[in-house]
Amino acid sequence: MLCLNGCYNQTIILLKILHNFYTVSHKIPPMLKIHSLGSTKSLFIAVGGCVVMTYISTLLLPHVALANIVMLFLLTVFLIAVFLGSHAGILAAFLSVGLFDYFCVSPRFSMAVDDVQYLITFSVMLVVALITGQLAARLQHQVLLSQQRLNRTQALYELASALSGVLKLNQVSSLVDQFLKDTLQLESVVLLPEQDALVPLSAHHVWFESHMAWAAYQSDSSKILSEPDGIYYFPLKGSTRSRGVLVLALAQGKSALKDDVLELLLTVASLLAITIERLHYVEVAGHTETQMATERLRSSILSSLSHDLRTPLTIMVGMADSLISAKPALSNYQLEVLGSLHQQSFKLSGMVTNLLEMARLQTGEIRLRKEWQPLEEVIGASIQMLVQALHQHTVRVHLPDDLPMLAFDAVLIERVFYNLIENAIKYSPAGSTIVIAAEVGGDSVLVSVSDSGLGIPADQINAIFDMFVRAHSADQAIAGTGIGLAVCRSIVEAHQGRIFAENTPDGGACIKFTLPVGTPPVLSEALLEGESI
Amino acid sequence: MTSLAPVVVVIEDEPQIRRFVCAALEDEGCVVFEASSAKQGLLEAANRKPDLIVLDLGLPDLDGLQVVIQLRTWSSLPILILSARASEQDKIAALDAGADDYLTKPFGVGELLARVRALLRRRVQMSDLPTLVTIGELQVDFINRTVTKAGEPLHLTPIEFRLLCVLYASAGRVITQRQLLKEVWGPGHAESNHYLRIFVGHLRRKIEIDSAQPKHILTETGVGYRFQV
Repeated sequence: MLCLNGCYNQTIILLKILHNFYTVSHKIPPMLKIHSLGSTKSLFIAVGGCVVMTYISTLLLPHVALANIVMLFLLTVFLIAVFLGSHAGILAAFLSVGLFDYFCVSPRFSMAVDDVQYLITFSVMLVVALITGQLAARLQHQVLLSQQRLNRTQALYELASALSGVLKLNQVSSLVDQFLKDTLQLESVVLLPEQDALVPLSAHHVWFESHMAWAAYQSDSSKILSEPDGIYYFPLKGSTRSRGVLVLALAQGKSALKDDVLELLLTVASLLAITIERLHYVEVAGHTETQMATERLRSSILSSLSHDLRTPLTIMVGMADSLISAKPALSNYQLEVLGSLHQQSFKLSGMVTNLLEMARLQTGEIRLRKEWQPLEEVIGASIQMLVQALHQHTVRVHLPDDLPMLAFDAVLIERVFYNLIENAIKYSPAGSTIVIAAEVGGDSVLVSVSDSGLGIPADQINAIFDMFVRAHSADQAIAGTGIGLAVCRSIVEAHQGRIFAENTPDGGACIKFTLPVGTPPVLSEALLEGESI
Repeated sequence: MTSLAPVVVVIEDEPQIRRFVCAALEDEGCVVFEASSAKQGLLEAANRKPDLIVLDLGLPDLDGLQVVIQLRTWSSLPILILSARASEQDKIAALDAGADDYLTKPFGVGELLARVRALLRRRVQMSDLPTLVTIGELQVDFINRTVTKAGEPLHLTPIEFRLLCVLYASAGRVITQRQLLKEVWGPGHAESNHYLRIFVGHLRRKIEIDSAQPKHILTETGVGYRFQV
């Protein structure tokens, strides 16, 4: 019984040592551990260890109590289990019980025992050896696992910090590919959407199915799709939309990915998604900046061009006017010449305006200053601008009372009306009437400007909206550059409208264009009735 | 007689434009002082006690807008802007900063003189606001708040009447949409342009003969309105 007691005490001590070892083993650098000895080799080492221990025991036997020899065997089993794993531990447990019996317990060199009590010693020894061996082995396994996890976390951290500094997409792909190859021995490829297909970001060795990748890309959840042959599809979900797919391939003959690895891969996928999204916004911001710089440059060029072209025109008009009012008064003929100089300068100014407008409309995206407003106002303003040219014509405006407000750029639509009315004046006889009308048709408003002039030859009815094309081009008596209608078309199309020409039943020309109705803003009653004052 | 002649300072860097503008103003009976730069112009404006300033927006040494802002810190005298720029935004900025009217280059001498006369007339009229005015066929009684058109009484809503008052008070100059909104609805509604347009449309239908070809409330597209008496 004393012996059993001793055994018990020693087991407790052993467990304490075990605990200490557990704590210490976390601090052992991974390189010092015998990680992956082959299982046969470790069994041989276990046998060898037990044999060496037996030899030492036989030397110590005359001087040491048997209970302590038991302890030495237990220590051996424990160490073997710690370093060589559970299989070697089990082998060592049985072996050491046998060897202890054979070499140390009398009668020595026989499996028989004198004292039956030793059977208890053997069984306790075996049980303790097995349990401590198993515990130690499990501990070792845990240590290995946590070490592995630590290594992965470290690698993941390094990947994350590397990704956060990346400025190009192909760098992203090489970083991720390298990470997956080094830590998980996986082949990978990142697929990014381009138009209606997913395109690999870099060269790769992964055989994947396009339709599976597309399904992963389209799916709303971040669910992983996989194929039986070890291909995994991780959707890359950004905050606003799906950014692509990460495809992984297991190495030949490897078993399916475990949950903890999948979790790690999900983290990698979301890191990847965030990085791709970040790069996307970096690109958008860069693009916007360039666009703004271009826009500024363009408007400053046009502004100075406008200044440079208008200044001499202003001087010409001013000088002509000064001469007209000069004293003593000039002859009628001279006054007539000056009057026409004045008039022609204004015509030239109109052409300059159209040319500059055309340059503005054609050299980039048009930025419309759209506001909700009645059409009537801008028609009135364009007639007002042409009041001098209209002295021989009458303009009639027919607008339905329920015409809704439309969203348009007033300055540009005014230019459309100006050009259309100016054309109508040019191509219709003095004393005739120009009719401006509008009607709502479906989701757009159809506006027409018609005259009672010569009409447009049928073969030119579409071409007149092209640059430098003029109807009746043989008729050189009517001045024009063929740019006015092209400007109109650009402006109307920028407003998502359509412009086309027809001839009226009585032969005149009629230019029609549409403007979308849209959804006018809701008007607050309080403001309409002035209650807020 | 000369002591009563209006004094005008012309700030324009282009010598030939300056020359004919000055000549036209002198013919009109004004005393004209010339300046070819913003710096010189501000100096002349301070020294000559002018009744009107004609200012080019595109000056070489200082942006015309800055000149308007500086002038407005110490004076309320009328400012007529000359602009060769394509953008309406520059004009709006200058008008909102306190300029009274603008002319887009090229402009005729007749047009220039009409604007100058209107601004000078405003300056005289500012002191005594009339209680009863006749504008074409319209008769507006500002005390009793009644309007008649060709003898027939017109029914205007309170907002329409207020709009008419503000427009009339600014006759002879351009008033921007922002200024009108502020005057009629208060400073909180400076962005509600479409309300303004609706009311202007309503008012036009009541006081104009043809609201699509107005004679009194003229639109300065992209900028604001001009009331013509």
